[in-house]
Amino acid sequence: MIRRHAMKTILRFSCGHRVSSAAWAGRLAGLDCTVRDVDLYALDAALRDDAAALLIGMHMDQRFLQANAALLNDYVAAGGRVAISGHVAHPFLDGLTPVRPLDGGGIADLTVARAVAHPIWEGVALEDLTFRRGVAGFYGHAWHAPPEGATVIHTLGPARRPLDFIWRLGRGAVLFHGGNDLWSFGGDDTTRRLLPQLVAWLTEDRS
Amino acid sequence: MTVAVLDGGTFYHHETIFGDRFRDRFDRVIYAPALTASDLTDVTLLIVPDRLNPDLLRRHRPLLTDVLARGRTLVVLGECEAETWAPGVRSAPRPTNFWWWLDPAETPPHRFVAPEHEMFRHVAPESTVWHIHGVLFPPDGAVPLVTVPEDRDGRDPGGALLYDDRVTTPGRLIVSTLDPFYHHGSRFMPATTRFLDGFLTWTRALARS
Repeated sequence: MIRRHAMKTILRFSCGHRVSSAAWAGRLAGLDCTVRDVDLYALDAALRDDAAALLIGMHMDQRFLQANAALLNDYVAAGGRVAISGHVAHPFLDGLTPVRPLDGGGIADLTVARAVAHPIWEGVALEDLTFRRGVAGFYGHAWHAPPEGATVIHTLGPARRPLDFIWRLGRGAVLFHGGNDLWSFGGDDTTRRLLPQLVAWLTEDRS
Repeated sequence: MTVAVLDGGTFYHHETIFGDRFRDRFDRVIYAPALTASDLTDVTLLIVPDRLNPDLLRRHRPLLTDVLARGRTLVVLGECEAETWAPGVRSAPRPTNFWWWLDPAETPPHRFVAPEHEMFRHVAPESTVWHIHGVLFPPDGAVPLVTVPEDRDGRDPGGALLYDDRVTTPGRLIVSTLDPFYHHGSRFMPATTRFLDGFLTWTRALARS
């Protein structure tokens, strides 16, 4: 991947419902990047735009993404990074598999455990991932089987069902979070660290 | 009779439409970006699920309003920006009360102003109660079925969450701000599953009548 500009661009896709990443400017201060909001159906043209990373969220048209899987795989293989959130119905990148339900919906089943430390979640308390206002399950309440060789970051419940994982694909990498958009957390607790630390990971220098 | 539903390609549309629980409620599933007139020729009732891409709905406006012009039924659920493309729809935002159910002193503001309406033969009133995404102002002659009063001393407008309009067009337009396809399809809010149990039974009955 050829990078002509020092300033890195992250593309955040939307499907008809307006989003504005301009509101993130304060939280991303000091990171040498811009986040550009792009209609998902302009994916093909947008990928020719030399972006460093993509945000693919929970409200996306996965049938369209699946129809464009070759384009997305090529993008990552050439060195791009992609962060994906939501449940998978239509796998659209090598390594994605369909969502699976948990064995139960009790607090034990919904409790988040950390398998390994990772800079994106540095300083983010497990308590804040498991509970919001005392209610469990907002960060994740379903699971996905990771591809072989993936690094599992967080799991759910006593069966340790994979919730967040990262895998290499060619020269790039994919981060998958099987719940609400990872970049949407940010109340008054430690989950506020997720957005800037995710963006730092997506845009870090790499060969 | 043919009940059709649009599929926006999201995981929650997929789970609600193709999951075991409701798969038999739909005779035809139409991928929304590919909608054509011929998909709708024999459709008696078309469901636009909540959170369907509003850009697509605005683009397909002639096809959607033609369903009504031909005397058929169109059901439009929440977060579809219906006020920008569906006949007679007016709405106003209202802060989303995501956490109302955590306060035991809080009672839901929902009112069921037409309890004799046929929908309530299928839909339990309490199954319409979850957080609120905006309100609708039904046109004169339309029948509001679920309403909420104004709140916070008038700062949040009152209005309908669901209404039945048989006057604006030759067809029947059922509009709601509720978002059950999203929540049921996310496997996270049982009230929305109970709502769809009743509502999707009613839409089949409507398509037969």
